[in-house]
Amino acid sequence: MKWWRFTFVVILVAVLQVSAAMNVLSLTNLRIKPDVLLILLVYFAVYCDVYDAVIISFALGFAADMTGMVLGPHFISYGIIGTAIAHIRKLILLKTTRQQAAAVFITGIAVAIIALVLTQIKAPQMTKTGLFEITAVAAYSAILWFLVKWPVTKIGKWLGVGAHRFGLKTDGRV
Amino acid sequence: MARSRFKPSKLTLLVGLVLMGFILLLIPQDITSKLNFAFIDIFGFFLNIGSSAAYQQNSQNDPLFSVSRQEYNKLQAAYENLQEKVSEQEKQIEQLSRVRMTEPDPAAGLVLAKIVNRRQNEFIINRGSADGLVKGQYVLGDNAVIGCIEQASADISSVKLITSSACKLHVKISAPDVNSYFNGTIQGDDKNRAKILNVPKKYKIKDGYYVYAAPKTGFLLSPRIIGKISKCVVDETRPLLWDITVKPAYEFDDITDVAVIVIKQELK
Repeated sequence: MKWWRFTFVVILVAVLQVSAAMNVLSLTNLRIKPDVLLILLVYFAVYCDVYDAVIISFALGFAADMTGMVLGPHFISYGIIGTAIAHIRKLILLKTTRQQAAAVFITGIAVAIIALVLTQIKAPQMTKTGLFEITAVAAYSAILWFLVKWPVTKIGKWLGVGAHRFGLKTDGRV
Repeated sequence: MARSRFKPSKLTLLVGLVLMGFILLLIPQDITSKLNFAFIDIFGFFLNIGSSAAYQQNSQNDPLFSVSRQEYNKLQAAYENLQEKVSEQEKQIEQLSRVRMTEPDPAAGLVLAKIVNRRQNEFIINRGSADGLVKGQYVLGDNAVIGCIEQASADISSVKLITSSACKLHVKISAPDVNSYFNGTIQGDDKNRAKILNVPKKYKIKDGYYVYAAPKTGFLLSPRIIGKISKCVVDETRPLLWDITVKPAYEFDDITDVAVIVIKQELK
Protein backbone atom coordinates (compact mmCIF):
# COMPACT_ATOMS: atom_id res chain seq x y z
CA MET A 1 0.00 0.00 0.00
CA LYS A 2 1.38 3.38 -1.00
CA TRP A 3 0.23 5.51 1.91
CA TRP A 4 1.20 8.95 0.58
CA ARG A 5 -0.79 8.33 -2.57
CA PHE A 6 -3.65 7.02 -0.45
CA THR A 7 -3.64 10.24 1.67
CA PHE A 8 -3.78 12.32 -1.49
CA VAL A 9 -6.71 10.30 -2.87
CA VAL A 10 -8.64 10.49 0.42
CA ILE A 11 -8.24 14.28 0.64
CA LEU A 12 -9.27 14.59 -3.01
CA VAL A 13 -12.37 12.44 -2.52
CA ALA A 14 -13.30 14.20 0.74
CA VAL A 15 -13.16 17.58 -0.98
CA LEU A 16 -15.12 16.21 -3.94
CA GLN A 17 -17.72 14.68 -1.64
CA VAL A 18 -18.60 17.98 -0.02
CA SER A 19 -17.98 20.22 -3.03
CA ALA A 20 -20.66 22.00 -5.01
CA ALA A 21 -19.66 19.89 -8.02
CA MET A 22 -21.41 16.90 -6.45
CA ASN A 23 -24.71 18.79 -6.64
CA VAL A 24 -24.75 17.83 -10.31
CA LEU A 25 -25.47 14.28 -9.14
CA SER A 26 -28.00 15.27 -6.48
CA LEU A 27 -31.55 13.96 -6.79
CA THR A 28 -34.87 15.33 -5.53
CA ASN A 29 -35.43 18.23 -3.18
CA LEU A 30 -33.65 16.28 -0.46
CA ARG A 31 -30.46 16.56 -2.54
CA ILE A 32 -29.64 12.88 -2.28
CA LYS A 33 -26.02 12.42 -3.33
CA PRO A 34 -23.91 9.26 -3.59
CA ASP A 35 -21.32 8.72 -0.87
CA VAL A 36 -17.97 8.26 -2.59
CA LEU A 37 -16.15 7.65 0.71
CA LEU A 38 -18.56 4.78 1.39
CA ILE A 39 -17.76 3.26 -2.00
CA LEU A 40 -14.04 3.52 -1.23
CA LEU A 41 -14.61 1.96 2.20
CA VAL A 42 -16.16 -1.15 0.67
CA TYR A 43 -13.57 -1.32 -2.12
CA PHE A 44 -10.58 -1.15 0.23
CA ALA A 45 -12.18 -3.47 2.79
CA VAL A 46 -12.74 -6.07 0.06
CA TYR A 47 -9.42 -5.77 -1.75
CA CYS A 48 -6.88 -4.97 1.01
CA ASP A 49 -5.47 -7.31 3.60
CA VAL A 50 -7.16 -7.04 6.99
CA TYR A 51 -4.38 -5.02 8.63
CA ASP A 52 -4.43 -2.32 5.96
CA ALA A 53 -8.23 -2.44 5.78
CA VAL A 54 -8.47 -1.51 9.48
CA ILE A 55 -6.24 1.56 9.03
CA ILE A 56 -7.95 2.58 5.78
CA SER A 57 -11.44 2.24 7.25
CA PHE A 58 -10.64 4.55 10.15
CA ALA A 59 -8.84 7.00 7.83
CA LEU A 60 -11.89 7.15 5.54
CA GLY A 61 -14.11 7.60 8.60
CA PHE A 62 -11.98 10.52 9.71
CA ALA A 63 -12.31 12.04 6.23
CA ALA A 64 -16.09 11.56 6.39
CA ASP A 65 -16.15 13.35 9.75
CA MET A 66 -14.10 16.21 8.38
CA THR A 67 -16.58 16.74 5.58
CA GLY A 68 -19.41 16.86 8.11
CA MET A 69 -19.74 18.97 11.24
CA VAL A 70 -19.18 16.42 14.03
CA LEU A 71 -15.88 14.64 14.66
CA GLY A 72 -15.97 11.03 15.88
CA PRO A 73 -19.18 9.28 14.74
CA HIS A 74 -18.03 8.33 11.23
CA PHE A 75 -14.51 7.57 12.46
CA ILE A 76 -15.95 4.85 14.70
CA SER A 77 -18.68 3.60 12.37
CA TYR A 78 -16.46 3.41 9.26
CA GLY A 79 -13.69 1.79 11.30
CA ILE A 80 -15.87 -0.91 12.82
CA ILE A 81 -17.90 -1.68 9.70
CA GLY A 82 -14.82 -1.60 7.44
CA THR A 83 -13.02 -4.03 9.72
CA ALA A 84 -16.11 -6.24 9.80
CA ILE A 85 -16.24 -6.36 5.97
CA ALA A 86 -12.56 -7.21 5.83
CA HIS A 87 -13.28 -10.22 8.06
CA ILE A 88 -16.59 -11.19 6.45
CA ARG A 89 -14.99 -11.39 3.03
CA LYS A 90 -13.07 -14.43 4.29
CA LEU A 91 -16.46 -16.20 4.37
CA ILE A 92 -18.12 -14.48 1.43
CA LEU A 93 -15.67 -13.59 -1.33
CA LEU A 94 -17.57 -10.47 -2.54
CA LYS A 95 -15.94 -11.03 -5.90
CA THR A 96 -18.70 -10.03 -8.31
CA THR A 97 -19.76 -6.43 -8.89
CA ARG A 98 -23.32 -7.29 -7.85
CA GLN A 99 -22.18 -8.66 -4.50
CA GLN A 100 -20.00 -5.61 -3.96
CA ALA A 101 -22.90 -3.28 -4.80
CA ALA A 102 -25.04 -5.14 -2.26
CA ALA A 103 -22.21 -4.70 0.25
CA VAL A 104 -22.14 -0.95 -0.49
CA PHE A 105 -25.90 -0.75 0.13
CA ILE A 106 -25.85 -2.68 3.41
CA THR A 107 -22.68 -0.95 4.59
CA GLY A 108 -24.17 2.46 3.76
CA ILE A 109 -27.18 1.80 5.97
CA ALA A 110 -25.15 0.27 8.81
CA VAL A 111 -22.54 3.04 8.82
CA ALA A 112 -25.14 5.80 8.72
CA ILE A 113 -27.23 4.33 11.53
CA ILE A 114 -24.21 3.90 13.83
CA ALA A 115 -23.02 7.42 12.98
CA LEU A 116 -26.51 8.78 13.64
CA VAL A 117 -26.65 7.19 17.10
CA LEU A 118 -23.16 8.46 17.97
CA THR A 119 -23.94 11.95 16.67
CA GLN A 120 -27.02 11.94 18.87
CA ILE A 121 -24.70 11.42 21.85
CA LYS A 122 -22.23 14.15 20.95
CA ALA A 123 -24.33 16.84 19.25
CA PRO A 124 -28.06 16.01 19.24
CA GLN A 125 -28.87 19.24 17.39
CA MET A 126 -26.85 17.96 14.40
CA THR A 127 -28.86 14.78 13.85
CA LYS A 128 -31.21 15.54 11.02
CA THR A 129 -30.92 12.58 8.66
CA GLY A 130 -34.00 10.42 8.29
CA LEU A 131 -34.23 6.72 7.49
CA PHE A 132 -35.42 7.44 3.95
CA GLU A 133 -32.38 9.61 3.26
CA ILE A 134 -30.01 6.98 4.68
CA THR A 135 -31.55 4.27 2.49
CA ALA A 136 -31.61 6.53 -0.57
CA VAL A 137 -27.94 7.51 -0.22
CA ALA A 138 -26.94 3.85 0.27
CA ALA A 139 -28.98 2.75 -2.77
CA TYR A 140 -27.61 5.59 -4.93
CA SER A 141 -24.03 4.72 -3.91
CA ALA A 142 -24.65 1.02 -4.63
CA ILE A 143 -25.98 1.82 -8.11
CA LEU A 144 -23.06 4.15 -8.74
CA TRP A 145 -20.66 1.33 -7.88
CA PHE A 146 -21.57 -0.37 -11.19
CA LEU A 147 -20.38 2.77 -13.02
CA VAL A 148 -17.30 3.66 -11.00
CA LYS A 149 -15.89 0.20 -10.36
CA TRP A 150 -13.46 0.42 -13.27
CA PRO A 151 -11.90 3.83 -12.35
CA VAL A 152 -11.86 2.93 -8.65
CA THR A 153 -10.07 -0.34 -9.44
CA LYS A 154 -7.53 1.58 -11.54
CA ILE A 155 -6.94 4.03 -8.70
CA GLY A 156 -6.68 1.09 -6.32
CA LYS A 157 -3.95 -0.48 -8.46
CA TRP A 158 -2.11 2.86 -8.53
CA LEU A 159 -2.22 2.75 -4.74
CA GLY A 160 -0.88 -0.79 -4.77
CA VAL A 161 -4.14 -2.48 -3.78
CA GLY A 162 -5.97 -5.49 -5.08
CA ALA A 163 -3.28 -7.09 -7.19
CA HIS A 164 -3.29 -10.36 -5.28
CA ARG A 165 -6.52 -10.18 -3.34
CA PHE A 166 -8.11 -13.14 -5.09
CA GLY A 167 -4.79 -14.72 -5.96
CA LEU A 168 -2.33 -16.62 -3.85
CA LYS A 169 -1.33 -14.61 -0.82
CA THR A 170 -1.46 -10.94 0.15
CA ASP A 171 1.46 -10.40 2.49
CA GLY A 172 3.07 -11.81 5.56
CA ARG A 173 1.33 -9.76 8.23
CA VAL A 174 -0.01 -11.67 11.22
CA MET B 1 22.07 -1.54 14.04
CA ALA B 2 18.73 -2.39 12.62
CA ARG B 3 15.96 -0.09 13.82
CA SER B 4 12.98 -1.94 15.27
CA ARG B 5 9.71 -0.79 13.70
CA PHE B 6 6.62 -0.51 15.86
CA LYS B 7 3.88 -2.63 14.35
CA PRO B 8 0.96 -3.44 16.64
CA SER B 9 -1.17 -6.53 16.10
CA LYS B 10 -4.50 -6.28 14.28
CA LEU B 11 -6.44 -6.44 17.54
CA THR B 12 -4.30 -3.81 19.27
CA LEU B 13 -4.63 -1.56 16.24
CA LEU B 14 -8.41 -1.94 16.14
CA VAL B 15 -8.86 -1.37 19.87
CA GLY B 16 -6.50 1.60 19.80
CA LEU B 17 -8.31 3.24 16.91
CA VAL B 18 -11.76 2.60 18.42
CA LEU B 19 -10.56 4.17 21.67
CA MET B 20 -9.23 7.12 19.71
CA GLY B 21 -12.65 7.40 18.08
CA PHE B 22 -14.38 7.53 21.43
CA ILE B 23 -11.91 10.17 22.64
CA LEU B 24 -12.78 12.24 19.56
CA LEU B 25 -16.44 11.65 20.31
CA LEU B 26 -16.08 12.80 23.91
CA ILE B 27 -14.10 15.96 23.13
CA PRO B 28 -16.59 18.86 23.25
CA GLN B 29 -18.14 19.87 19.95
CA ASP B 30 -16.86 23.45 20.34
CA ILE B 31 -13.29 22.17 20.12
CA THR B 32 -13.64 19.53 17.40
CA SER B 33 -15.73 21.81 15.19
CA LYS B 34 -12.59 23.93 14.76
CA LEU B 35 -11.11 21.08 12.71
CA ASN B 36 -14.21 20.93 10.52
CA PHE B 37 -14.05 24.67 9.99
CA ALA B 38 -10.33 24.44 9.23
CA PHE B 39 -11.08 21.88 6.50
CA ILE B 40 -13.60 24.23 4.88
CA ASP B 41 -11.20 27.13 5.32
CA ILE B 42 -8.33 25.30 3.61
CA PHE B 43 -10.32 23.79 0.75
CA GLY B 44 -12.92 26.58 0.44
CA PHE B 45 -11.88 27.39 -3.11
CA PHE B 46 -12.21 23.80 -4.36
CA LEU B 47 -15.49 23.24 -2.52
CA ASN B 48 -17.19 25.96 -4.55
CA ILE B 49 -15.99 24.77 -7.94
CA GLY B 50 -18.97 23.86 -10.07
CA SER B 51 -21.56 25.69 -7.97
CA SER B 52 -22.82 27.77 -10.89
CA ALA B 53 -22.71 24.72 -13.17
CA ALA B 54 -24.81 22.75 -10.73
CA TYR B 55 -27.35 25.54 -10.44
CA GLN B 56 -27.52 25.92 -14.20
CA GLN B 57 -28.15 22.24 -14.67
CA ASN B 58 -30.93 22.18 -12.08
CA SER B 59 -32.46 25.24 -13.66
CA GLN B 60 -32.44 23.68 -17.10
CA ASN B 61 -34.17 20.54 -15.87
CA ASP B 62 -36.89 22.56 -14.19
CA PRO B 63 -39.90 23.11 -16.51
CA LEU B 64 -40.41 26.52 -14.85
CA PHE B 65 -37.23 27.68 -16.57
CA SER B 66 -38.26 26.55 -20.07
CA VAL B 67 -39.35 29.35 -22.41
CA SER B 68 -40.04 29.64 -26.15
CA ARG B 69 -37.24 30.62 -28.57
CA GLN B 70 -38.88 34.04 -29.21
CA GLU B 71 -39.18 34.71 -25.51
CA TYR B 72 -35.60 33.51 -25.04
CA ASN B 73 -34.26 35.95 -27.67
CA LYS B 74 -36.17 38.80 -26.09
CA LEU B 75 -34.84 37.94 -22.66
CA GLN B 76 -31.34 37.52 -24.05
CA ALA B 77 -31.41 41.05 -25.50
CA ALA B 78 -32.66 42.47 -22.22
CA TYR B 79 -29.99 40.47 -20.43
CA GLU B 80 -27.24 41.89 -22.64
CA ASN B 81 -28.45 45.43 -21.97
CA LEU B 82 -28.54 44.85 -18.27
CA GLN B 83 -25.20 43.07 -18.19
CA GLU B 84 -23.23 46.23 -18.78
CA LYS B 85 -25.19 48.13 -16.16
CA VAL B 86 -24.78 45.31 -13.68
CA SER B 87 -21.01 45.09 -14.07
CA GLU B 88 -20.71 48.80 -13.27
CA GLN B 89 -22.96 48.48 -10.26
CA GLU B 90 -21.15 45.36 -9.08
CA LYS B 91 -17.93 47.34 -8.83
CA GLN B 92 -19.67 49.94 -6.67
CA ILE B 93 -21.31 47.29 -4.48
CA GLU B 94 -18.00 45.51 -4.02
CA GLN B 95 -16.36 48.72 -2.82
CA LEU B 96 -19.24 49.44 -0.46
CA SER B 97 -19.29 45.86 0.78
CA ARG B 98 -15.60 45.98 1.59
CA VAL B 99 -16.17 48.97 3.83
CA ARG B 100 -19.15 47.27 5.52
CA MET B 101 -17.33 43.99 5.94
CA THR B 102 -14.37 45.48 7.72
CA GLU B 103 -16.38 47.95 9.77
CA PRO B 104 -20.06 47.01 10.10
CA ASP B 105 -22.45 49.90 10.55
CA PRO B 106 -22.99 50.22 14.32
CA ALA B 107 -26.57 51.45 13.89
CA ALA B 108 -27.67 48.61 11.60
CA GLY B 109 -25.57 45.99 13.42
CA LEU B 110 -25.19 43.90 10.28
CA VAL B 111 -22.20 41.80 9.30
CA LEU B 112 -22.18 40.95 5.61
CA ALA B 113 -20.92 37.49 4.68
CA LYS B 114 -20.49 35.25 1.68
CA ILE B 115 -21.64 31.65 1.50
CA VAL B 116 -18.56 29.46 1.10
CA ASN B 117 -20.17 26.04 1.24
CA ARG B 118 -23.75 24.82 0.90
CA ARG B 119 -25.09 21.71 2.53
CA GLN B 120 -28.51 20.29 3.08
CA ASN B 121 -30.46 22.85 5.14
CA GLU B 122 -27.29 24.53 6.30
CA PHE B 123 -24.39 26.51 4.89
CA ILE B 124 -21.03 27.94 5.87
CA ILE B 125 -20.24 31.66 5.76
CA ASN B 126 -16.91 33.46 5.69
CA ARG B 127 -17.43 35.40 8.95
CA GLY B 128 -16.84 34.17 12.47
CA SER B 129 -16.50 35.09 16.10
CA ALA B 130 -13.77 37.58 15.19
CA ASP B 131 -16.51 39.60 13.47
CA GLY B 132 -18.81 39.39 16.49
CA LEU B 133 -20.78 36.32 15.42
CA VAL B 134 -22.10 34.02 18.12
CA LYS B 135 -24.48 31.06 18.25
CA GLY B 136 -28.15 31.99 17.90
CA GLN B 137 -27.79 35.19 15.89
CA TYR B 138 -30.28 35.70 13.08
CA VAL B 139 -29.14 35.52 9.48
CA LEU B 140 -30.81 37.53 6.72
CA GLY B 141 -30.92 36.75 3.01
CA ASP B 142 -33.17 38.37 0.41
CA ASN B 143 -34.24 40.74 3.25
CA ALA B 144 -35.83 37.86 5.16
CA VAL B 145 -34.70 35.78 8.11
CA ILE B 146 -33.30 32.61 6.57
CA GLY B 147 -31.77 30.93 9.60
CA CYS B 148 -29.53 31.33 12.59
CA ILE B 149 -25.89 30.80 13.49
CA GLU B 150 -25.29 27.25 14.69
CA GLN B 151 -21.55 27.34 15.39
CA ALA B 152 -18.92 30.04 15.01
CA SER B 153 -15.16 29.67 14.79
CA ALA B 154 -12.80 32.65 14.53
CA ASP B 155 -13.24 33.20 10.79
CA ILE B 156 -16.14 31.02 9.59
CA SER B 157 -19.54 29.98 10.90
CA SER B 158 -22.22 27.44 10.12
CA VAL B 159 -25.79 28.57 9.63
CA LYS B 160 -28.89 26.41 10.02
CA LEU B 161 -31.68 27.32 7.64
CA ILE B 162 -35.20 27.69 9.01
CA THR B 163 -36.07 24.63 6.92
CA SER B 164 -33.76 22.54 9.12
CA SER B 165 -35.38 20.57 11.92
CA ALA B 166 -32.46 21.69 14.09
CA CYS B 167 -33.56 25.33 13.82
CA LYS B 168 -36.35 26.46 16.17
CA LEU B 169 -37.39 30.12 16.35
CA HIS B 170 -40.18 32.08 17.99
CA VAL B 171 -42.46 33.64 15.41
CA LYS B 172 -45.42 35.96 15.09
CA ILE B 173 -48.16 35.21 12.58
CA SER B 174 -49.69 38.38 11.21
CA ALA B 175 -53.48 38.16 10.95
CA PRO B 176 -54.64 41.29 9.11
CA ASP B 177 -58.30 40.15 9.21
CA VAL B 178 -58.43 40.57 12.98
CA ASN B 179 -55.60 43.12 13.10
CA SER B 180 -53.57 40.94 15.46
CA TYR B 181 -50.53 38.70 15.81
CA PHE B 182 -50.45 35.07 16.96
CA ASN B 183 -47.34 33.69 18.63
CA GLY B 184 -45.79 30.35 17.79
CA THR B 185 -42.60 28.39 17.29
CA ILE B 186 -41.32 27.51 13.84
CA GLN B 187 -39.26 24.40 13.07
CA GLY B 188 -38.00 23.10 9.74
CA ASP B 189 -39.20 19.82 8.27
CA ASP B 190 -35.90 19.14 6.40
CA LYS B 191 -37.88 19.28 3.13
CA ASN B 192 -37.56 22.95 2.12
CA ARG B 193 -40.52 23.94 4.29
CA ALA B 194 -41.07 24.75 7.96
CA LYS B 195 -43.88 24.02 10.39
CA ILE B 196 -45.38 26.20 13.10
CA LEU B 197 -45.98 24.00 16.09
CA ASN B 198 -48.71 23.78 18.71
CA VAL B 199 -50.96 26.63 17.56
CA PRO B 200 -54.48 26.08 18.96
CA LYS B 201 -57.32 25.82 16.45
CA LYS B 202 -59.25 28.57 18.22
CA TYR B 203 -56.99 31.12 16.49
CA LYS B 204 -58.34 32.02 13.06
CA ILE B 205 -55.32 31.40 10.87
CA LYS B 206 -55.49 31.18 7.09
CA ASP B 207 -53.25 30.38 4.13
CA GLY B 208 -51.30 33.38 2.89
CA TYR B 209 -50.73 35.00 6.29
CA TYR B 210 -47.22 36.32 6.74
CA VAL B 211 -44.90 34.88 9.37
CA TYR B 212 -42.31 37.04 11.15
CA ALA B 213 -39.39 36.17 13.42
CA ALA B 214 -40.35 37.46 16.85
CA PRO B 215 -38.07 39.97 18.58
CA LYS B 216 -35.61 38.32 20.94
CA THR B 217 -33.55 40.18 23.51
CA GLY B 218 -29.97 40.50 22.37
CA PHE B 219 -30.61 38.97 18.94
CA LEU B 220 -33.50 40.71 17.16
CA LEU B 221 -34.98 44.10 17.98
CA SER B 222 -38.00 44.12 15.66
CA PRO B 223 -40.00 41.47 13.75
CA ARG B 224 -38.51 40.34 10.46
CA ILE B 225 -40.26 38.43 7.69
CA ILE B 226 -39.63 34.68 7.46
CA GLY B 227 -42.20 33.56 4.92
CA LYS B 228 -45.83 32.94 4.18
CA ILE B 229 -48.26 30.25 5.33
CA SER B 230 -48.66 27.90 2.38
CA LYS B 231 -50.95 25.38 4.09
CA CYS B 232 -53.04 25.59 7.22
CA VAL B 233 -55.11 22.50 8.03
CA VAL B 234 -56.32 20.78 11.17
CA ASP B 235 -53.67 18.50 12.65
CA GLU B 236 -54.72 14.91 11.91
CA THR B 237 -53.23 13.51 15.10
CA ARG B 238 -54.20 16.41 17.39
CA PRO B 239 -57.50 17.88 16.17
CA LEU B 240 -57.34 20.83 18.57
CA LEU B 241 -54.21 22.19 16.90
CA TRP B 242 -53.38 23.60 13.49
CA ASP B 243 -50.91 21.94 11.14
CA ILE B 244 -49.29 25.03 9.62
CA THR B 245 -46.76 24.82 6.79
CA VAL B 246 -44.65 27.87 5.98
CA LYS B 247 -42.99 28.59 2.65
CA PRO B 248 -39.80 30.59 3.27
CA ALA B 249 -39.48 34.00 1.61
CA TYR B 250 -36.12 33.12 0.05
CA GLU B 251 -34.81 30.89 -2.74
CA PHE B 252 -31.75 29.26 -1.24
CA ASP B 253 -30.11 28.56 -4.60
CA ASP B 254 -30.23 32.27 -5.45
CA ILE B 255 -28.57 33.49 -2.28
CA THR B 256 -24.84 34.05 -2.37
CA ASP B 257 -24.50 36.80 0.26
CA VAL B 258 -26.13 37.04 3.66
CA ALA B 259 -26.17 39.50 6.56
CA VAL B 260 -25.95 38.51 10.20
CA ILE B 261 -27.73 40.67 12.76
CA VAL B 262 -25.22 41.55 15.45
CA ILE B 263 -26.77 43.59 18.21
CA LYS B 264 -24.24 45.83 19.89
CA GLN B 265 -23.77 45.39 23.63
CA GLU B 266 -25.24 48.79 24.51
CA LEU B 267 -28.43 47.98 22.56
CA LYS B 268 -28.98 44.59 24.21
